[in-house]
Amino acid sequence: MKLFLLAALFALPAFAGETIVNVKGMVCSMCAQGLEKKFTEAGVEKIQVDLDQKQVRLEGKELSDQEIRKIITWAGYEAGDISRK
Amino acid sequence: MKQLLLITFMIFSLKALAHPVIYKGGWAINSGNMANYSNNYVLYSFTNRFAAGIEHDRFDKVDVGLLKFNSLLVRHNGDDSQANLYFHGGVGKEIYNYGAEADWETRTLYTSLKHLRFEGPRYKNYYVTQGRVGLSPIKTGFDKLQAWFMVQGMVIHNVEDTVMITPMLRFFYHNILWEVGSSTRGDWMLNLMVHY
Repeated sequence: MKLFLLAALFALPAFAGETIVNVKGMVCSMCAQGLEKKFTEAGVEKIQVDLDQKQVRLEGKELSDQEIRKIITWAGYEAGDISRK
Repeated sequence: MKQLLLITFMIFSLKALAHPVIYKGGWAINSGNMANYSNNYVLYSFTNRFAAGIEHDRFDKVDVGLLKFNSLLVRHNGDDSQANLYFHGGVGKEIYNYGAEADWETRTLYTSLKHLRFEGPRYKNYYVTQGRVGLSPIKTGFDKLQAWFMVQGMVIHNVEDTVMITPMLRFFYHNILWEVGSSTRGDWMLNLMVHY
């Protein structure tokens, strides 16, 4: 039982809730495909790009703010606020 | 003076199909075809600032092959817009090319200007100046088909020294973009691009 709780505790940061990232400059849906590709490569399971809200929603593997900002920069954009639910 | 006015007009009123640099690790495969000019390339973006690859251009009946090196010099990511300035460079057998490309776009407006020079001892000098202005009437979602109405103005020194005006339709869906157009003189245009 203790072992199970311990395992669950360590597993929590890796598979958490939704992360919402504000992204600047995301105006072209074709160009934004890069975001989906790069986050998929980083192991994120669900990626939703919302051009209207200028946000990317990530679910599954939780990445650090630093990792998220790096991926968004690689995709050619600029990350704004990052929040988690 | 006339050329200066034309370039100024294009800067303020009229993006090439070309995406000279895309996201890190991305491939851009392009085939741009007009009656008297074609531009085909495969580029790999090593970073979001630098891409390299191979390119083939055809000016009327003259073929040119190049190793290409493109760089994103400046990018401004706004809340509702993006602006870019790119450098184009290329080296081939007894020919080289260089130039610049600038664009500004929102989800519904699109403008660009590109000027490329192809020079070499065994070739005529080809200067390609291309400007575009575009309008997308409907904002569509990330996974939806998007349509643009565009007008392209283009001059190719030593091929077509008068401005070719080409109204066109641009579509993109996911990672595929295609354009179809016909110039005011009836010449066709067909472009296809894939990002991978």
